[in-house]
Amino acid sequence: MPKSLRELILGLADISEIKDLIDNELRSHKNPQLIVDELSQTLREVGDKYERGELFLSELMMIGYLASEAASNLKPHLSGAGKRSRGKTVMGTVRGDIHDVGKNIVVMMLQADGWEVIDLGVDVPPEEFVEAIRKEKPVILGLSALLTSTLEEMRNVIKALEKSGLRDKVKVIVGGRPITRMIAKEMGADGYADDSVAAIRAVREMARRGGGT
Amino acid sequence: MNHRERVIKALNFEEPDRVPIMENGIDTPLMEKITGDSFPYAVSRQSPIITDRSHESMRVDLRLKCWRKIDFDLFPIDLSTPDGWKPQMTPEGDMVDLWGRIMKLDKMTRAWIPYSTVFTDPDDYDEFEFPDPLEGGWVYALEYAKRNLEGEMALASSLRDPFAHAWEMFTPMKFVLWMYREPSFIKRVIEDIADFNIGIIKRVAEVGVDLIISSGDYCDAKGPMVPLSFFRDTIFPNLRRQVDAAHKSGVKYIKHTDGNINSLLPDLADIVDGCHSLDPSAGVDIGSVKKTYGDRLVLMGNISVDNLALKGRADIVEEVKRCIRDASPGGGHILSSSNSWAAGARLENCLAMVEAGKTYGVYPIKM
Repeated sequence: MPKSLRELILGLADISEIKDLIDNELRSHKNPQLIVDELSQTLREVGDKYERGELFLSELMMIGYLASEAASNLKPHLSGAGKRSRGKTVMGTVRGDIHDVGKNIVVMMLQADGWEVIDLGVDVPPEEFVEAIRKEKPVILGLSALLTSTLEEMRNVIKALEKSGLRDKVKVIVGGRPITRMIAKEMGADGYADDSVAAIRAVREMARRGGGT
Repeated sequence: MNHRERVIKALNFEEPDRVPIMENGIDTPLMEKITGDSFPYAVSRQSPIITDRSHESMRVDLRLKCWRKIDFDLFPIDLSTPDGWKPQMTPEGDMVDLWGRIMKLDKMTRAWIPYSTVFTDPDDYDEFEFPDPLEGGWVYALEYAKRNLEGEMALASSLRDPFAHAWEMFTPMKFVLWMYREPSFIKRVIEDIADFNIGIIKRVAEVGVDLIISSGDYCDAKGPMVPLSFFRDTIFPNLRRQVDAAHKSGVKYIKHTDGNINSLLPDLADIVDGCHSLDPSAGVDIGSVKKTYGDRLVLMGNISVDNLALKGRADIVEEVKRCIRDASPGGGHILSSSNSWAAGARLENCLAMVEAGKTYGVYPIKM
């Protein structure tokens, strides 16, 4: 019996096998939205597995890559409501920090989950975040940092948003190893995540509460 | 008992006069604050990059002055660039290091940090000019430090772990892709880097180091970053080869890794002489490690770097007391933070760590 999309992704199959499966299902007139839903459901399962310690970081990264590729493959076949993203997000690692493994996993997973992601990269100064919020009008801004020393930079971004009158236009999620609920609250963020899977969950939760579509 | 004797006792699972204290690294801005000296040149924790030998001597001088001022017992120093090597700079102002890592300058810590790579696919590796451990210059900083120390502090050579090296050389995403798609290629790269390290281990042993501290992480806060099968098939056999080479020269081998290492400890206890970091923020309980592996592993670390940056002096003193109570009896313990003193750490907390170590770490431990 052929493997399902879920089985292929969890089994870290070759991307060509995943693309072949999607092509075959589309040729059989399967509604592409059902495939997107299956992908999204698989990512939730992956998140839960990682939280329970049943997946290694390398497996999470590989799954993020495969799911992101699968989502790109599906995108041209979606129409109407399905083609619209679940919402737009802007992501970046704050100034003074160039670590991006966690952020990149979040970007891949969000793309696979149907979000439009503007990735500003690493070492991003506050004014660049402000400019991106003004231009892209995202529902969620994700700020990433690995180093304790760059927590202050997250505060600077939030202050810069307040100063430019954009703070109430976007929900801010701060993420990274040193982040705790108390630190996030104290710096004025709307949500926090201490790893990449928690970040996906925070974005979804924020969207459910009215931050996204 | 001098600093070096104190460390040697601890490394041999004997009780010295007090628990030795060390740091694996201190960011330049903090060293400048401690010493009052300035050092205008950027460094890198991952790779030797300073080509001017007078600047390299200044780097060691600053570090020595800082370590002496803090009164540390162990002096770790990394490799220098080989003679004649010059870094390649990209049009964007980034640096390509000896290993093909593209590095950006972090202005806050004044350190170059890898973020990209010259390798676009595995075939590029065969065209890559691999560094030669026999070239002159690699041990310049170590020899300079050895001459200046004259046995006052124990001397450690920092050496990048082959897994961490390859992970950064290719960038984490490419490493992972190739690890799953071309496992024999990744295995070959890790073997090549281990061969290089074995060549370097002979050189640093000739300088007369007391121990090697292998840098580069195996774990994140959740646990090992790659499956245990990959550790047992590829990482650990090459780690063992390096440890054997060090032991042949009478040098101890300590493995540093951040993160939750609990599931790797049975294997590590069988291979290396000690572990550094023992990160409490990632769930490593030094008391529990001591109970199970305290007769085989020298324990270094466990003072949370997050707490050094975020908590107060009294919290740090309590953390040091806990660490000493749980890990110091019987020797085999060197007090340090769980990584290094980063630029964002509170200096008063760092100094409180050392002061508390000296106060409560006197043998026999009375807590």
